[in-house]
Amino acid sequence: MADVRMINLTIEGRPVTVPDGTTILEAAKTAGILVPHYCYHPGLPVAGVCRMCLVEVEKMPKLAPSCATNVGEGQVVHVYSEKALEARKGVLELLLINHPLDCPICDQAGECELQDYTFQEGRTDSRYREPKRFDPMEDFGGDVLYVTNRCILCTRCVRFMDDVHQEPVLCVAERGDRATIGKAPDADLTQPWAANVIDLCPVGALVSKDFLNKARAWELDRTASVCTGCSQGCNNVLESRDNVIVRMKPRSNEDVNHFYLCDAGRLDYRWMNRPDRVEVPKIRMHDVLSPVDWETAYDEAAKLLKGKRAFVVASPSLSNEALFLLKRVITQTGGEGVFRCETGFEAPLPGVPDLALRADRAPNVYGAELLGFQRHDINPLAGLKQGDVLVLAGETLPGLDLSATTRASAIIVIGTVHVDGIPTPSVVLPIANVAEEEGTFTNLRGRVQRFLQAKAAPGYVRPSWYAFADLATAVGANSDDMNLPSVIFSALAQSEPAFAGLSYDTIGLRGGLIAGATAGAH
Amino acid sequence: MAITVKVMERPIGEASYVRATLKGLALTLKHLVDPHRVTIQYPEEKWDLSPRWRGTHRMLTTEDGTAKCVACGLCPTVCPANCIKLVPGEDEEGNRFPLVFEIDEFRCIFCGFCQEVCPEEAIHMGRHYENAEFNRARFVYDLERLTAQTHPVSELWDPAHPRGE
Repeated sequence: MADVRMINLTIEGRPVTVPDGTTILEAAKTAGILVPHYCYHPGLPVAGVCRMCLVEVEKMPKLAPSCATNVGEGQVVHVYSEKALEARKGVLELLLINHPLDCPICDQAGECELQDYTFQEGRTDSRYREPKRFDPMEDFGGDVLYVTNRCILCTRCVRFMDDVHQEPVLCVAERGDRATIGKAPDADLTQPWAANVIDLCPVGALVSKDFLNKARAWELDRTASVCTGCSQGCNNVLESRDNVIVRMKPRSNEDVNHFYLCDAGRLDYRWMNRPDRVEVPKIRMHDVLSPVDWETAYDEAAKLLKGKRAFVVASPSLSNEALFLLKRVITQTGGEGVFRCETGFEAPLPGVPDLALRADRAPNVYGAELLGFQRHDINPLAGLKQGDVLVLAGETLPGLDLSATTRASAIIVIGTVHVDGIPTPSVVLPIANVAEEEGTFTNLRGRVQRFLQAKAAPGYVRPSWYAFADLATAVGANSDDMNLPSVIFSALAQSEPAFAGLSYDTIGLRGGLIAGATAGAH
Repeated sequence: MAITVKVMERPIGEASYVRATLKGLALTLKHLVDPHRVTIQYPEEKWDLSPRWRGTHRMLTTEDGTAKCVACGLCPTVCPANCIKLVPGEDEEGNRFPLVFEIDEFRCIFCGFCQEVCPEEAIHMGRHYENAEFNRARFVYDLERLTAQTHPVSELWDPAHPRGE
């Protein structure tokens, strides 16, 4: 990169220096100016079909589409000159000729680029008096619904399916004013990454069937998080309304998922709202689980663990912080920590290097391994010895033969829900799920990524790091000072060589690589 | 020592009440025969409300009797008192409609923003003022009640004016 020529130019009076080959649109972004655009998307090949990004460049005879024009030395660019504004106003007027005025019932309203730019630069009224074109809606399969009338033919979806997903299912059908987005007749948008066209669509033409009519864009609270669907650790945004997660969207991160999120990940958020949660700590009294306060439950757990070996089956969906404190419990009791991970098919996104729905369907597999938990997918309970205390941390062991659990002298369940198929546990500690607490996950490339709290936890539920810190203290491994996720992470970075040098400040919201991590290392 | 009281000597014309009484009776008599009356015989007679009067809401309906509302969410967004609760839903034909639409008339400040912002001209302020109820819960008007209202609606702008739609 060192010998790339740098170009100096002026955009709206601001001096900008960018590498040679940058487009004017991208250069303007560095100067804090967003040139309105529809067909351009940084993750897709440039098409230059919408003509919305026209800007005036001095000494050029005509207005230049800034998404397809490279910067030149000494250029003077006017984004908001009268000529450019007039041209873009004309483009908007033409786009709105057949665009229905159905913003009140359109799911995109509030996050619609057509709405935004029309409000910024468009005409206040329409001069078009003729009847608008009407086409029926079309179900594109998968999660995608195509509302033909709203389409502005930017072809972002076509280019995504052709060049990024490399499954050419969509095309521009018909010509002239009858043009619409067409789908291959024998195919549906059921490809593993196809629903990204919904996010790419700048208007409400491609909408999610799952989110249809559920909430308005401006009512949502957005929280930066990490997808828990697989070990890729795609960055996402959890969008909630009234403490209920209603949608999951990708959050762009050049190092992990670019702009994309797979269908399996984006539709897997309902469990975060599940109502059948354990909401109070419980201990077993006369073979029945009775609600108690947290302190009593910790004491009971400590009493059970005294002099016994803790056999911990941890979930690879627990955060690094939680697993780190859980490790203290294991070390203190001379126990053993194992985990199991659900596996599935691997679905790569061909157009993006190193991005796939991974076979390991849990977010923190690498983190659990780094923290000394042994992976046993087939029979995690094999190492459970007679008389051990079985600790199920966030794990419900679905679909396994759980008869081995009778070997345990006692069972402690620390999780969001009750575990079926095991003898009545002695202690149940309710912890928050990923949407209700803060923490970090380590993805399969060793990238430690933070997730934030998106909703409030029900009942007396405590964040997992909180519960594990208190449990560690109760069994004798003093963790009284572990009172914040950032503090726990600092302690983790100090005592685990793999995490050395990392802190919440350095990893930020884009993640930080652990020591010795290289692409493809794991 | 004896207390002496000073007695004021006043002319009879000032001290007499006869004159003032007659004056008062004359005024009463004048009002008795005067046709100009400001008192309204409520509830037999009702006050004539201004066309811009902003009273409790009314939801207008389409020809088939369902609410015009498409649950766009603009009224709960614009409402400064946060008194509108709206949960959007979808009917069998895939049209948006309000699953829940409730207005807390106690919390409402009757600003009329909801009527102004409504793109479907569904929610309206009403020209109506008799709202008494026997309990507080009855002041949360649900969709059924809002559509069942029959009183005239407020005209926030003059329909005859070129910019008044």
